[in-house]
Amino acid sequence: MRKSFLIAGAALLAVAGSAAGWIASRPNTDAPPPASFAVLDADNNEVGRYVVPADKDILAQPNADEIIYGKRLLADTARLLPDNVGAAMNCNSCHLLDGKIDAANGYINTVNFYPRVMPRAGKEVDLEMRINGCFQRSMNGKPLDRNGREMKAMIAYMDWLRQGVAKDHRVDIVNAGAIDESLVPDPENGKAIYALKCAACHGTDGEGMRDQFGDIIFPPLWGEDSFNIGAGLARTYKAAQFVKWAMPPSMHLDGQLGQGGVLSDQEAIDVSEYFTHMPRPDFAPKVNDWPNGKKPKDARY
Amino acid sequence: MRVVKLALLAGLSALAIGWGVAASTPYWFAPKQDRKVDIADPDLIARGEYLARAGDCVACHTAPGGAPYAGGLGLQTPLGTIYATNITPDRETGIGAYDYGDFERAVRKGMRPDGVHLYPAMPFASYQVVSDADVEAMYAYFMSAVKPVAKQNQPTTIPWPASMRWPLAWWQLLFAQPRDFQAPESDDPLVARGAYLVEGLAHCGACHTPRGLAYEEKALKDDGSGRFLSGSVLEGWYAKNLRNEDTGLVTWTEDELVTFLRTGRNKRTAAFGSMSDVVEHSLQYLRDEDLTAIARYLKSLPPRPGRERWAPKEDVTTAALRDGDFSAPGAMTYVEHCTACHRLDGKGAPEVYPALAGNSMVFADDPSSLIQVTLAGGRMPSTPEHSMAFTMPGFAHLSNADLAELMTFIRNSWGNHASAVSEADIARMRKEIAHKPVHYAPEAAP
Repeated sequence: MRKSFLIAGAALLAVAGSAAGWIASRPNTDAPPPASFAVLDADNNEVGRYVVPADKDILAQPNADEIIYGKRLLADTARLLPDNVGAAMNCNSCHLLDGKIDAANGYINTVNFYPRVMPRAGKEVDLEMRINGCFQRSMNGKPLDRNGREMKAMIAYMDWLRQGVAKDHRVDIVNAGAIDESLVPDPENGKAIYALKCAACHGTDGEGMRDQFGDIIFPPLWGEDSFNIGAGLARTYKAAQFVKWAMPPSMHLDGQLGQGGVLSDQEAIDVSEYFTHMPRPDFAPKVNDWPNGKKPKDARY
Repeated sequence: MRVVKLALLAGLSALAIGWGVAASTPYWFAPKQDRKVDIADPDLIARGEYLARAGDCVACHTAPGGAPYAGGLGLQTPLGTIYATNITPDRETGIGAYDYGDFERAVRKGMRPDGVHLYPAMPFASYQVVSDADVEAMYAYFMSAVKPVAKQNQPTTIPWPASMRWPLAWWQLLFAQPRDFQAPESDDPLVARGAYLVEGLAHCGACHTPRGLAYEEKALKDDGSGRFLSGSVLEGWYAKNLRNEDTGLVTWTEDELVTFLRTGRNKRTAAFGSMSDVVEHSLQYLRDEDLTAIARYLKSLPPRPGRERWAPKEDVTTAALRDGDFSAPGAMTYVEHCTACHRLDGKGAPEVYPALAGNSMVFADDPSSLIQVTLAGGRMPSTPEHSMAFTMPGFAHLSNADLAELMTFIRNSWGNHASAVSEADIARMRKEIAHKPVHYAPEAAP
């Protein structure tokens, strides 16, 4: 009797053991744990981890409607705010994928970054002023009402995206990757690179591409519908940072957009010199920029 | 006892007869042809090169990063790996010592000069319809224009007794009976030309026709069963239905097909997975008239009853997403991860980003390709017609629940309608991707 119990027990143990082994040996059949970025304090000490939140988490927020409206405005700016946008551009044209990507002008640290003294303005700039700077320069349009529903919604989205990272902390990402500013641009080579690597989306004449409704798929890089010379992107080296690290998208099997890493520093600078210096709208208030000097060497005026 | 003895005797006799028949097939089933070919004829060589491209020989007979045609690419089977052989004209390790008869027998009948039967990984069952003139041209090309490479063939990893080759004779007797090309009934010579290429050298059926239990293609030509080119799953990719029917090509025009075959993309879709390689290695080199012939023939394949046409349902998705209504299950995930390229209207960007709306790969009966390309990403082929080839990144970092909801949304939005994708489907594909065969052969020992 006792012997049969022993045998049964041993058999049971063997079955359970092999089942556990089998389960442990199975490949991971769901998503791996999410990637995360360090959260740094003012002295660059890591004080936590940041995970880019999923949009569906917005639904749990008390102001979900406002955040989603803000997200839509950033993605579809020209269509939803025609009175304020003069160019065929959306915020997401430069702030890729709703500002969620490293080295592609993310919004993750934006709320925590302002207000601050900016050399171009020569004074303290808060987030509303900064956003309206974009509307007047990159979007070649008119500022939003700084207390209006649209401005509040955009900031609500950015505030949600920061996921409670404290004001004096920052997530360890950059707006744009580094570029060697000692390199001298060659616009002729830039023109060739443009034809080979950019024109497929941005058009042979820089006109961009539009969808069936006339809305922007790929923004124009020069001409009347492009950003004006007051935009940061109109500066060769600033544009080159974006071009090298965030353009073109859809080049790799990994990365949220498979973006960047195609051109060398020199190539990025050459092509940026070429397209930034093509005809584009002027920016009348340019006379007020850099009132205290410190003008960067690639400034357009 | 007597019964046992008898049964044993009968079994042994059957085995002996089976082996005997197999050993004899080189003499009666696949006899060697005796024919002289002028392998120095430059026109013949040039034609042979074109035909070798059409046959895409290089795709299997070249290891990743290896010399063209020197073999070594591994083909995973449930029993082990078969390695494609060296078909360069090296006399010791390649096919340099083959006379025309040896070459013809390998290509069309699946037999080595020493009478050993080839695995049906070599599509000789399709190549049987290739004309004598075309086989001669390819022989001239391989003998005269391909650079000989000394590289030993890699033995298969299939263990004994499954590694015995003689039973393959029976496979050939059952599934690869000799046959000549028979043009389909049509007044259009292009349809006949298309059928000749599709059934033969291009061996489209190797991926696009469903296979039976013995790995045989269920139809080697359009035989009235409707199974030829009706879609099949290989290595987790669904090679789509190519018949002129609902989830096949009924919504494609001939021009769209030709553009797709030549460049791997058109206004509605883009090639990825294995098809990307086929365009890059083979189809982009074909003459427009041959591509038109292929397209016209495919468009002539009659639909199966009840599947004559595909009608989209009403598109309510575009308006909802543009109005900020993301309430449909999966819509929020779609807007977050997919709209940057595939857009709120699901139309993508012509020749840059494939449309999802009305794309028959998306609403195919079998969602394997949609699932795999979403998890692992995919590349367009690179051709001279387009200076940029685009890559879709993989989304394996999203959870099975999110992906299942997302793909069900994509398969049923903008007018698309198809079955739902489940979390188990995604988990299964993750497993399949993790166990993907490594198409790599280590160098054989000297």
